[in-house]
Amino acid sequence: MLGSRRSYAVFGLVTALSLAATACSSSGASGTGSSTPHSGGHLTFALASDPICVDPQQQGNNDAIYPARQLVDSLTDQDPKTGKIVPWLARSWEVSKDATTFTFHLRGGATFSDGTPVDARAVKDNFDGIVRLGAKSVLGASYLAGYRGTTVVDKNTARVTFKAPNAQFLQATSTFTLGLLARSTTRLPAAKRCTDHIVGSGPFTLVDYTPNKSVEERRRAGYSWGSSLWRKKGPAYLERISFKVVPESGVRTGSLQSGQADAIGGVAPQDEDGLKAAGFTLLSRANPGVPFALTANTARPLTRDARVRQAIQLGVNRKEVVDTVLSRRYQPATSALASTTTAYQNLGDRLAYAPDRARKLLDEAGWKPGPGGIRVKDGQKLSLKVVWATNFGPNQTALELIQQQLKKIGVQITLKSTSIGDYVQVRQKGDYDYAWGNTTRVDPDILRTSFSSKGLNLSRLHDSALDAVLDEQSATADAARRAGYAARAQALVLEKGYQVPVFELTTVVGVSGKVHDLDFEASSRLQFHDTWLS
Amino acid sequence: MSRRAAARFWLRRPGLVLAVAVLVLVLLSAFFPGLFTGRDPLSGVPAERLQPPSLHHPFGTDQLGRDLFSRVVHGSALSLKATSLAVAVGLVAGSALGLLAGYVGGLLDDVLMRIADVLLAIPALLLSLALVTALGFGTVKVAVAVGVTSVASFARIMRAEVLRVREATFVEAARASGSGPLPVLLRHVLPNASGPVLVYAAVEFGTVVLAVSALSFLGYGAEPPAPEWGSLVSGGRDYLATAWWLTTLPGLTIAATVLAAGRVSRALDGETEEISR
Amino acid sequence: MPRYLVQRLLQAVFVLWAAFTTSFVVLYLLPGDPVSIMASGGGDTNDVSPEQIAELKQVYGFDKPLIESYGDRLWHALRGDFGISVQSGDPVTRLIADQLPATLQLTSAALLLAVVLGAGVALAATYTRRRWLRQTLLSLPALGVSAPTFWVGLILVQLVSFRWGLLPAIGNEGFRSVILPAITLAVPTSAVIAQVFAKSLRTALAEPYAQTALAKGASRRRVHFGHALRNAAIPPLTVAGVVVGNLLAGSVVVETVFSRTGIGRVTATAVTAQDIPVVQGLVVFGALAFVLANLAVDLLVPLLDPRITAAAPAVAR
Repeated sequence: MLGSRRSYAVFGLVTALSLAATACSSSGASGTGSSTPHSGGHLTFALASDPICVDPQQQGNNDAIYPARQLVDSLTDQDPKTGKIVPWLARSWEVSKDATTFTFHLRGGATFSDGTPVDARAVKDNFDGIVRLGAKSVLGASYLAGYRGTTVVDKNTARVTFKAPNAQFLQATSTFTLGLLARSTTRLPAAKRCTDHIVGSGPFTLVDYTPNKSVEERRRAGYSWGSSLWRKKGPAYLERISFKVVPESGVRTGSLQSGQADAIGGVAPQDEDGLKAAGFTLLSRANPGVPFALTANTARPLTRDARVRQAIQLGVNRKEVVDTVLSRRYQPATSALASTTTAYQNLGDRLAYAPDRARKLLDEAGWKPGPGGIRVKDGQKLSLKVVWATNFGPNQTALELIQQQLKKIGVQITLKSTSIGDYVQVRQKGDYDYAWGNTTRVDPDILRTSFSSKGLNLSRLHDSALDAVLDEQSATADAARRAGYAARAQALVLEKGYQVPVFELTTVVGVSGKVHDLDFEASSRLQFHDTWLS
Repeated sequence: MSRRAAARFWLRRPGLVLAVAVLVLVLLSAFFPGLFTGRDPLSGVPAERLQPPSLHHPFGTDQLGRDLFSRVVHGSALSLKATSLAVAVGLVAGSALGLLAGYVGGLLDDVLMRIADVLLAIPALLLSLALVTALGFGTVKVAVAVGVTSVASFARIMRAEVLRVREATFVEAARASGSGPLPVLLRHVLPNASGPVLVYAAVEFGTVVLAVSALSFLGYGAEPPAPEWGSLVSGGRDYLATAWWLTTLPGLTIAATVLAAGRVSRALDGETEEISR
Repeated sequence: MPRYLVQRLLQAVFVLWAAFTTSFVVLYLLPGDPVSIMASGGGDTNDVSPEQIAELKQVYGFDKPLIESYGDRLWHALRGDFGISVQSGDPVTRLIADQLPATLQLTSAALLLAVVLGAGVALAATYTRRRWLRQTLLSLPALGVSAPTFWVGLILVQLVSFRWGLLPAIGNEGFRSVILPAITLAVPTSAVIAQVFAKSLRTALAEPYAQTALAKGASRRRVHFGHALRNAAIPPLTVAGVVVGNLLAGSVVVETVFSRTGIGRVTATAVTAQDIPVVQGLVVFGALAFVLANLAVDLLVPLLDPRITAAAPAVAR
């Protein structure tokens, strides 16, 4: 059993290299205050969109996660620098060689804010509960795919078993999605635990969430079971955190400049230079996971043809998108995974801008130039509908530019926007040709979440070769071999044109001079436990 | 009307002259955008993005290097189409109902006028928003939603006119000569009652431009990248601190159009009597 | 007098009922299938099962014949129940009640400002003897109603908050955050008030009694601010319903521009998410505000001018 732990350490090293290549300006950037860390203070953070639901187990978008992440602890944590899985609520664990059984030894002594203990029973309640949430927990459902059950071995030992190998599960236990909530929360139906009744064991507790307005959190007194990665032991420094919902990026920037907010999320690329010049600190970290991409709905008549999908892939000029719409902090996508993801494989050559080859492919597929420069076949226009969510400010501009680029190869794009809350649902309905979006996760298993025909299968794929590779990837505990499968999967996804990756998301946070030690966790989400105000 | 009187009329009103000129320009740009700009409103030169107004780009460029002037000019087509459609919906539906209520009278009149009262009791924008919720988003749907809110006002004015005209001698005469109710209505009542209704349509024009752009600003109009005046202003919001022209100039265009429409409609409402006298 | 009151009250109730019915027709009949819109509109329903549809149908009474489901909704509405927000799952009435204070704060500040500004412009324009000043003042309202509210708000943010750093651009916190949104909202409203008030002042000043008072040697100021003002105050009051409606409608745009919470923001998000029950609640609420404002005026006008017992009919827009 111990052997499998070591192999994870090796796996971590692989990640470390890829992380080091692109990582972040987070450390040091905020450590310039003259005073020393001290307890107390009220930090105001401006969020780019309404969390809609502050239950960490149900939500996935970045803005919901900043507040939700502070409310819960996870079994493990992941070192953002090395990718290594380290103790948090679990002081140690064993993973069976076939990656089907995971035994966690809890540290003991931790409690939820309602006083109930964080014990093996709570682990079972949570995992059972997440499986029950089903589609309400899109991420949770994929992390716990093939979940057989959790056995309470003793008070502080829980054994989680899966019907099939599930190599990504250990990393998943470090995410907010598998953060633990008290029984008083897990027994509630999904809708009842979005705005209220969220009881966790985290360093902060929920005071109040007013939709479209704010999330108020207060420090948990007596907290002493923080992640082994955190610098400060014991309770957090900050007394209170207010997360304010400020959807307009310009107004967010203004509120940081005027001192109404101490820190803001979603700094718009065009505001970066101005903030920097005004003496504010910008923290940024490239998000791992699936980059911003157009993901095909292969059940639609036009996108069923692989040549059309490949042409679209070649017809997007990624560099122009990054140069025009984004900033130096962002980079063009070079694979089906972002470069900070574990087992990322650079396939940048395949994603070079090649409009002539794209045109040739479309010619071969029978799409001939038609009126207005848009190609036609059998009287039908090559017009594709793209659905997108308004969660990331530059989305619209980026898509308008892509639209412009694709027009040059004779493809018409129509855009249909939705709120981030409706996005998954719109995709499930399937009335679109391409969906625009990204997903943040450190583990390459996110490819299985996105492209396996056995999951939600939003792309409506029937590709047994890809399924097999994704399954192998998930079933292989050996890190190096697993990375090989992950690399094959990335290549397959691009080869078939299932995905048109465009750019990697970078989380950019603007921070005033009085905020110190606001840190990114491994998946580029913020951690406020060590943060202090001068 | 003498030519000198007309000349004096216009000379005394430089504001009105300016207003007419603005309206003519805006209408021309809606129907013949090519007269004003040769640039494509939908595709730009990324390298020339966010440039302030210059001779080359009179309204500057946006975040994709598209010429903002061209987007405003082409945007007037969508915005004015929506406005005209909305006014037409109000004018046609309202006039028909008013005509019916005034001419038939009795219970039908009572019922129709009560319905009109109720429509007037719901704040116009809220009623439009309810319709948008039910119909969905898009330029045409927004136009219909805005148009419906003015049906009641048109109906009231038409009804009042019909009541005035109905008893006039020429209508009595037509009726006495054996014409059926419909020919009387269409040939005699409608033409003589329609003056104030048409004036009101002109008055409504400005209000409707504002309502349509407000809904477009809120994001219920055309999908991007189609330029609409309201969505152009809203698109510039993220650049308030860095590119003032993106919000300021499209907004100024809306304001100028509404102001001009208001001035012209006031002239239609009363001042023209001076010339015809 | 009591009869007049009863009549007005009955009228108000009728208008509310009719507003409910109108919104029912628009929101529940027009779309054809409101339940599937409701089921798909919210972010909470990730997958819509037939059971969920059936449940929603039952909750909203759509499993019954149309007339019955209408009666059902009306009966609930009479008890203040407009259903449940599809988006958040909260009762519509509570959602509106929660957001009401923020919007009241904004609209009352704007109303106060609009009355002061509007009356000020009208009084100054009718009082001054300088032609150019009068012309300038009288052209202000036309400007005020022509500038799009959202644009005025953005220009104010750009200049006052960003360029000069004088006032906060966003939020609901404190008195300072109300100033810019209130000014934005007051611009079109004050223009309407100024237009109506200037007209009624001119009429009042032309009345024989005003002329007589002047002839008898009363000072211009006395006639203007004494006799005429009192009589001229009534016509602007009759547009109170319109003004309240405009303020409420304006809050949709203003709250969005300034990132404030309130009824307006709820409206904008509800429309975007096609949250039918919330939109219906808001429409009826808008009509309620209109009716209450008119009712208040109806009660106030006889006190100002005992000769009038039946106030001018409610004019809108």
